Amino acid sequence: MDDYTIGVLTNVGLISFLALSAYLLLIAGEMSFGQQAFFGVGAYAGGILTAIYGWPLPLAALGAMALGALAQFLVGLPTLRLRGLYFAMATLAAAEMARILFELFHFQRLVDGEAVGPDGTQGFRGIRWVFEQGIEPLEYLGIVYALLVVALALFLLVERSRLGATLRGVGEDPELAAALGVDVNRVKLGVAAAAGALAALGGVLYAHHNTYVEPRNFDIMLGVHSLAYALIGGLGTAFGPLLGVLVDIGALEGSRIFHGYRMIVFGGLVALLLVWRPRGLLDERMVQWLKQRFS
Amino acid sequence: MAKAALFLTLALLPGFALAQTPKADLQCKGTGTDFVYDCTIRLSRGGKPLEGVQVTMGADMPSMPMAHNVKPVKAQPAKAPGEYKAKLDLEMLGVWAVKLRLAGPVRDQLILHYEFDSKGATPARR
Repeated sequence: MDDYTIGVLTNVGLISFLALSAYLLLIAGEMSFGQQAFFGVGAYAGGILTAIYGWPLPLAALGAMALGALAQFLVGLPTLRLRGLYFAMATLAAAEMARILFELFHFQRLVDGEAVGPDGTQGFRGIRWVFEQGIEPLEYLGIVYALLVVALALFLLVERSRLGATLRGVGEDPELAAALGVDVNRVKLGVAAAAGALAALGGVLYAHHNTYVEPRNFDIMLGVHSLAYALIGGLGTAFGPLLGVLVDIGALEGSRIFHGYRMIVFGGLVALLLVWRPRGLLDERMVQWLKQRFS
Repeated sequence: MAKAALFLTLALLPGFALAQTPKADLQCKGTGTDFVYDCTIRLSRGGKPLEGVQVTMGADMPSMPMAHNVKPVKAQPAKAPGEYKAKLDLEMLGVWAVKLRLAGPVRDQLILHYEFDSKGATPARR
């Protein structure tokens, strides 16, 4: 496999974590434009833990996921009281606040004579754990996809369980769910924490793939894309967001047909799909149809 | 005497490590074809030109990470020591994080921020 293919596939895998995180909130009835903030929390936390404190990547990833979960839980406490567009705007504001905090964040330490760590707008260089361990790009691609498979398996398990039904119930009709005895606020806070952890895991993997992160990486564009991937791919199954990522990065970018104009095509595609299939390509009806056809 | 030698070694270690970190300088000129640039990379380590390195050059847009996958190109050694040449084919103008992946005698990845316009590239203001 050549460097380009490995790069495209790694990016597809990395951004899938973010798309899955947006999807998790969408099925619980909340549209977040701010998942990039928790992706950033994961990237910075994971980078600090490996590059400055010398933690191994698996431990750093767990630490970063815990921090991502805590961060989104804390953001969720006040914002999940809001509904619809108000919640979406609140998440966008929280993400912008996080990005500005990354710009103000300076935490550099000398490692082997070199200043390593977040340096405000100059970014965070020297996240070299993967290089130091001699992990080749193809091997790292394997790590990313192994973790993605684990995340997907968890999603599929949850979706087939009582918890999955509760989540969809809360997402579709929170009043009815509450009348049936579901603690809607608690469920949504749990979902927010899980979505934060998932985004943070993507962030840790991204930072170690790139060896460098900066506040601009966690701009609103990343949040819009992750949400768009979930909406394009569909809300009927966890495979939906992955399909969304594949359509954009895999097909549009990978084929390079629309060289230079991809973003315009992508925007048009999102608009068309939202009119034609408001719940995405793999929506609940399509998933039901596929299940009947192949069972 | 042994203590002094140990102290001296420890004192010099950070400087030694710093000297081992490769540095890169980049100059890119537009080719006349949209978004295609002829680039010259100058690699050094400890102030000396770094030769015999396999350099692969790629790029990512900091404001849209992972959304652009520029095809990485292998740079070819030029005449001057530590100098390498490559053609970079971007997707649009603007600030790009140029990634230089080094292999061979040195294994590293260097990230350089440059603003690309139709004429060429200048270090990005940040």
